[in-house]
Amino acid sequence: MTGKDIFKITVNLVIVYLIGGFILAFVYANASPKIFRNNEEAEKKALKELMPAADDVAKMGDWTIHDKHAKYFIAKKGGETIGYVIQSFGKGYSSYINTFIAVDKDFKVQKINILAHGETPGLGDEIETDVFKDQFKGKDIDHLKVLKTETTEYIQALSGATISTRAVSEDAVKNGVAFLIKTIREGGNKDVQHQHN
Amino acid sequence: MSSISTINLKELFLNGIIKENTIFKLALSLCPSIAVTNNLKNGIFMGLAVLFVQTMVNITISLMRKVIQPKVRLPIFMLVISGWVTITQMLMAAFVPDVYAKVGLYIALIVAFASILARAEMFASKNSFIPSMVDGLGMGVGFLFALTVISFFRELVGKGTLTVPTGLSTQHVFTFINTKPVLLMVLPAGGFLAVGILMALFNWIDIRYLKKGAVSH
Repeated sequence: MTGKDIFKITVNLVIVYLIGGFILAFVYANASPKIFRNNEEAEKKALKELMPAADDVAKMGDWTIHDKHAKYFIAKKGGETIGYVIQSFGKGYSSYINTFIAVDKDFKVQKINILAHGETPGLGDEIETDVFKDQFKGKDIDHLKVLKTETTEYIQALSGATISTRAVSEDAVKNGVAFLIKTIREGGNKDVQHQHN
Repeated sequence: MSSISTINLKELFLNGIIKENTIFKLALSLCPSIAVTNNLKNGIFMGLAVLFVQTMVNITISLMRKVIQPKVRLPIFMLVISGWVTITQMLMAAFVPDVYAKVGLYIALIVAFASILARAEMFASKNSFIPSMVDGLGMGVGFLFALTVISFFRELVGKGTLTVPTGLSTQHVFTFINTKPVLLMVLPAGGFLAVGILMALFNWIDIRYLKKGAVSH
């Protein structure tokens, strides 16, 4: 290979990559504002679904669980606080399970939603089903224990996916609710403290 | 391979579906295929995503083939493939976010598809625009066909259900078997078993009925 060949090859590669880079930059510049707005709307929609009664769900702050950043929100209706929504993570069988939990102002779980996970298809991914998620409605922090037997008082484990069930219930939801109770109480709301059993 | 002028486009299209089917004949891109075929909907969306990217990559490479220095063709192919994948992802996230939420995961996987690089190297870099496009379409349809069959088989046997996409972001789950299904089939190990069984079946049909004494390739 002569010096001229090396030069030609280098120039060829540089030009093609520069053009490719410019095309990607152009598409990104045009698409990214739209993507950002879409993500914001998706999050708003997810919050709205978790707190259908609220007319305003506003971000309260950030917290960390399993070294991951998560957010929490306050839900209001007509200016009055009706509950909170918190994002939390549970350490599952093969992934961290990204969960959103809505609680009322007594910190009883109203609804949970699994946003993302990488659990085993056919076993762990049953955590996405409504049958599983509906178990959490009305549960307070003392009733998030996972049992392998039939139960409505506590959380019943999915057959073949006890680890995923525990990750959602005893890790993500429990820690999320515990954090909310601690944080909101520290905020000085005495009423909340007395109402909670 | 016959020269460009004598290539029959119809034969070229069918080549990707039957004679050189990515999964059943070339056994390429098995890893991502096994990963996503645990339900029918996933298989179909992955197949469609590959069909699109394969065609666009083939077209781009064939248009560029005269300006690519042979010694640096591989980094350039990789740029074209990852470029198309990224552009598709960004445009979908911007303009059809509902669809992107469902299929975005599959599109990102395509960067690692050996089958796309293989067609760029073996076909598109040596042929003109039209044959390359047809080759991409044929290969993509063949892949879509294979993934559909595999995921149909795996979901039906492994879960007793079929998840049929009724729109880009909606689906309907049909339940066929209410007794305990063969759970192994939807687990990764079952993916290999399913591909193996279907590959054997596909080749048996091919040899028995399609070749009709033609010379084996």
